Amino acid sequence: MVTNPYKILDIPETASDEEVKTAYRKLAKKYHPDKYVDSPLKDVADEKMKEINEAYDMIMDMRKNKNSQNQSSYGSSTGYGGASDPIFQRVRQLIMANSLDEADRMLDSMADSQKIAEWYFLKGMIASKKGWGEQAFQYIQRAVQMNPGNPEYTAAYQNIMRARQYGAGGAYNQPNQQYGCSCCDMCAGMMCADMCCNCCGGGC
Amino acid sequence: MFGYVTIYKDELLVREFNEYKSIYCGLCRTLGKEYSKLSRFILSYDCTFYALLLLSLNGECPGYEKKMCRCNPLKKCTYIKNGEDALSKASALSVVSVYFKIVDNISDSKGIKKLAYKFLKPIAKKWANKAKEKYPYIYNAVETMSKEQFKVESMDNAQLDMSADPTAKMLKSVLSYGEQDKSRKLILETMGYNLGRWIYLMDAADDLEEDREKNNYNPFLLMNYNGEQNFKNYISQILNQSLAQAYNAFELLDITLYKGIIDNILLKGLAQKQRAVLFSEEKNGNKSV
Repeated sequence: MVTNPYKILDIPETASDEEVKTAYRKLAKKYHPDKYVDSPLKDVADEKMKEINEAYDMIMDMRKNKNSQNQSSYGSSTGYGGASDPIFQRVRQLIMANSLDEADRMLDSMADSQKIAEWYFLKGMIASKKGWGEQAFQYIQRAVQMNPGNPEYTAAYQNIMRARQYGAGGAYNQPNQQYGCSCCDMCAGMMCADMCCNCCGGGC
Repeated sequence: MFGYVTIYKDELLVREFNEYKSIYCGLCRTLGKEYSKLSRFILSYDCTFYALLLLSLNGECPGYEKKMCRCNPLKKCTYIKNGEDALSKASALSVVSVYFKIVDNISDSKGIKKLAYKFLKPIAKKWANKAKEKYPYIYNAVETMSKEQFKVESMDNAQLDMSADPTAKMLKSVLSYGEQDKSRKLILETMGYNLGRWIYLMDAADDLEEDREKNNYNPFLLMNYNGEQNFKNYISQILNQSLAQAYNAFELLDITLYKGIIDNILLKGLAQKQRAVLFSEEKNGNKSV
């Protein structure tokens, strides 16, 4: 499937092993499945992830020598798992097949006593896939409150919280506060220092 | 339409800024050529972004040329040479959104303002009809949005996600229109949906004070919150969430042309506008474009 693995990682064939790894890590971060758990683009991202994994493995295989450490690549996550109730399993299948309205109807028809944490989680996933972020946040938050130990709910919740806190580009892209100002502060600092210097030393 | 989708000039390369400006000027020229001289006044950053994205998706560098500025005879501007298709679509989106905005404003305003909008309506209608002939998909998308929005706002308690849905869907269908590749289409749909949602919610956040005073509908006013600062922070989180979704989608597109400019807009320009609206941070000196 992979035609030219170097092209996929966007590096020349002469790249060193270290450069291959760096390029791979950069792309793996970009397409990381965790970023897309609650997104309609989950499959597209998974596909991209698979592509770069294959490219990376292929390059490493080609270059392999005796002492290869077989650096394993990030695995792509495999859908939802661990559903207990058959109704919830059916709902999960519907969500994966993108039949969101039908899945939603099935959940809505359930009795109040059946509305356990998983019910709220699945409601949240449906809202999220539709793009209704606020509703998704409320439901998934509720699911986590009801069952704080579930890794699936926690992962989805943390993903939303990251987005809400940092916005586009994640934590590494917090504009303004850090740069702009610190530069000015530096300038001001230098000016102060310069003035002191002139005062005391008399011209340095 | 609203002018929220702008660059963050301080962080743009000079080359990129010139490229952006030449698209902006190109759109101004196309508006004048296809509609009328008057229509140049509706030139917006939002529609410039649409043209920019179309050019970027197309992937061919349009080339640049220096010519006299159409608005100021003493100035020379750089225009993009080709890319008429992108500019023409963006002009159509401009005139169509302005027309529906005017229609909307006629029913919302009173007195002299209402009269002014009524006066402008036939002019805008003429433009919109022309755009409809050329790009029916744009006209239909905006018309549907306008109708759905009216329905949503007539409901007593339309919750936040629902209120943003019409604008989000409009941009979703406009951005993804005509894309043949299945995953690219899905990416553009997700990006469009969340960007449209962000624009609508930004507009709502911008009108918050006014709507509160006049007792108008505003999706944020239905939320209960303790203290103004907490409230603003919460709104900011909701907006962030949409931006992150839009950018995550954009990251899956493999485009190279104008990537730096689009990154700048999505990562910095929009965040800057958001802070300006919510926390009254000084508005970036974008006027000089």
